[in-house]
Amino acid sequence: MSRLTRGRFLAAGAAGAGAALGGVGIERALSGGNSAAEGVVPFYGEHQAGIATPAQERLHFAAFDVLDARPAQLRELLRAWADAAARMCAGQSVGETADPLRPPVDTGEAVGLRPARLTLTFGFGPSLFERLGLPRPEALRPLPRFPGDELEAERSDGDLAVQACADDPQVAFHAVRNLARIGRGQVAMRWSQLGFGRTSSTSRAQETPRNLMGFKDGTNNVKLEDRESLARHVWADEPAWLRGGTYMVTRRIRMLIEVWDRASLDDQERTIGRRKASGAPFGRTGEFDRVDLAATPADAHIRLAAPAENAGTRILRRGYSFTDGMDAELGQLDAGLFFVSFQRDPADFVRVQRRLAERDALNEYVKHTGSALFAVPRGVRPRGYVGDGLV
Amino acid sequence: MSGRTRVLAVALAAAATTLAACGGKERAAKSGGRTVDVKLTEAGCEPARLELAAGPVTFDVANSGADEVTEFEILDGSRIVGEVENVASGLRRSFSMTLEPGRYVTYCPGGTTAERGTLVVTGKPRSAAAASARVRASVAAYRRYVEQQTDLLVTRTRRLVAALRRGDVAAAKKSYVAARVPYESIEPVAESFGPLDPAIDAREGDVPAARWTGFHPIERLLWARNTTQGSDALAARLLADVVRLRRLARGVRLEPAAIANGSVELLGEVSKSKITGEEERYSHVDLVDFEANVRGAQAAFDSVRRLVAGKNEELAERIDARFDAVLRALEPYRRGSGFVSYLTLTRADTRRLSRAIDSLAEPLSEVAAIVVTAP
Repeated sequence: MSRLTRGRFLAAGAAGAGAALGGVGIERALSGGNSAAEGVVPFYGEHQAGIATPAQERLHFAAFDVLDARPAQLRELLRAWADAAARMCAGQSVGETADPLRPPVDTGEAVGLRPARLTLTFGFGPSLFERLGLPRPEALRPLPRFPGDELEAERSDGDLAVQACADDPQVAFHAVRNLARIGRGQVAMRWSQLGFGRTSSTSRAQETPRNLMGFKDGTNNVKLEDRESLARHVWADEPAWLRGGTYMVTRRIRMLIEVWDRASLDDQERTIGRRKASGAPFGRTGEFDRVDLAATPADAHIRLAAPAENAGTRILRRGYSFTDGMDAELGQLDAGLFFVSFQRDPADFVRVQRRLAERDALNEYVKHTGSALFAVPRGVRPRGYVGDGLV
Repeated sequence: MSGRTRVLAVALAAAATTLAACGGKERAAKSGGRTVDVKLTEAGCEPARLELAAGPVTFDVANSGADEVTEFEILDGSRIVGEVENVASGLRRSFSMTLEPGRYVTYCPGGTTAERGTLVVTGKPRSAAAASARVRASVAAYRRYVEQQTDLLVTRTRRLVAALRRGDVAAAKKSYVAARVPYESIEPVAESFGPLDPAIDAREGDVPAARWTGFHPIERLLWARNTTQGSDALAARLLADVVRLRRLARGVRLEPAAIANGSVELLGEVSKSKITGEEERYSHVDLVDFEANVRGAQAAFDSVRRLVAGKNEELAERIDARFDAVLRALEPYRRGSGFVSYLTLTRADTRRLSRAIDSLAEPLSEVAAIVVTAP
């Protein structure tokens, strides 16, 4: 038995018996204001939104397994997802219901909330190509295992990915929930991650935020104003469905918070390679001053990650701080960085991460527990869908 | 159902119910139903008096500036039969219901002079309309199923009671498991009789200890204490309750939408307490209940399937296929006439089963709306 208050079985028949509480039709967006003021980032465009978009404050990420691998079914799902995504990004409900006997089409929790700059970014994992028997881009190989990886299968990989970013956590949650619901039966959620605060700035107009270690990270990120860098380091150009798309890497990096908090300020700064208070590199005074490699410890994080030490490799980072509460086994905070990066070739990430995994002083304080790679197709045209031209 | 058809269906629903000029009293909607405009004002409900013919109706409730009044309710005595909440100033929401003849109160809490109004519904009760032969056949088919299952429940409970009286723990355990099956297959029917379901099926902690009766205290004696001692009163009460359930079930009012909802509720039962191992916490025969819930849901769906197929064959086929998928997913855990203990399931196992249930329940939740209007 479920709950003593239930007994809905015959009450639901009230459409015949008496009168039933009806489905509620809802207009989500409040009246007035233009879309920029309300924070609408268009879903349709040359590139998918949520990459070269100023980083929003919150993240809800979800990876899915495809249960029904017939291409026609997948195409239908991707169409429905694109339609729903366009509506939600515009601040609208997925749809309206007035039928009292039907579950509401939209789940309703975003009613009255602003669009909150919601973006939905979709990706295809290597396993999707195997499952559908589609030709896999050469670059979309599962990531290699890096030294020190402690990956959990339940937090890794996936056929499809949805990155929902918004300035309101409930707007992001609503988007993922409704997409999952639309896909139910055809896809099933494999893992999901909430991010409560952005750790990157992707625009010069944004201040560099601090990560959970208390440091400014990602100062030298690729910024959306720098179109040349985007073209060179982020946007892919083949195959056709990926032209204007990119590759997305996600890593769930658990920070050993308790251990870090016991490290001296000097240790912390030498580990990262920046001054904690100002964000300045070693031997410099301002956050945005050029990194002086000679003045920076050889195993400091920013030195190993610097483009100059990696044959000019740059990636666009768009990560979020996360916490999943407490690690019940250890009684410690389960928190860290949900790292998200976009690059034209996953090999760029692999090159940098290999160096970090081997030598980074930060490894003493972090543990990679989840990992995934997705191809992010080009942007969607109205009435189109993600993966148009592939699926 | 697939996302695609969902979005299309939505567009139609929206076309039928939105955006008419304010102030119009009653207007026809494309679906054949009617829409009635109601305004929330500082005074309360406007208009304060409504007179409508019986049948389906959509109330479109708009608030154009009343900060204190955000809710519209329709009361039959003290019972809320329809309502919409959180219609803040500037918002507009709608809800649909089927009106039966009678006199109702409209209630807009917080209004100054028109907090309460009147709604008079005229005409013939809809339920008196002749049900079509197909609807009657559907209801008759499910009624037969309920009768069969309640007969089985009484027979098997008698067997359980006899074994308990003999003090035969092994036989009682076997009979316990067998008796659970018919109960779990029609549980939503039992739930419609108020306190009868808790009397038969409450788990420890659901009710005060002194009033804990039914299957589960017997389960605890048999498995946790390996005894039949102390079961006399419980057994007698359980038998009396299932006999009563059988009698009440004979007279239960059934109609297709309720049967379809019952089917969805049975899957809700699986998600909530079987897949988590909470239902049979001493015997761990949760998968037996799992299968019984699914078979019961399937029987309910099958009885209304002819009404669905006439309107949406694709949906009916999808549901068939997903029932099959759920039952196939259970197969690896079958042992003899029962199933493995819940305790042997891994997280991967429960996740696989849970996904199969979710995949089925989603399209199934569309059925009630289809069968309620079926010819």
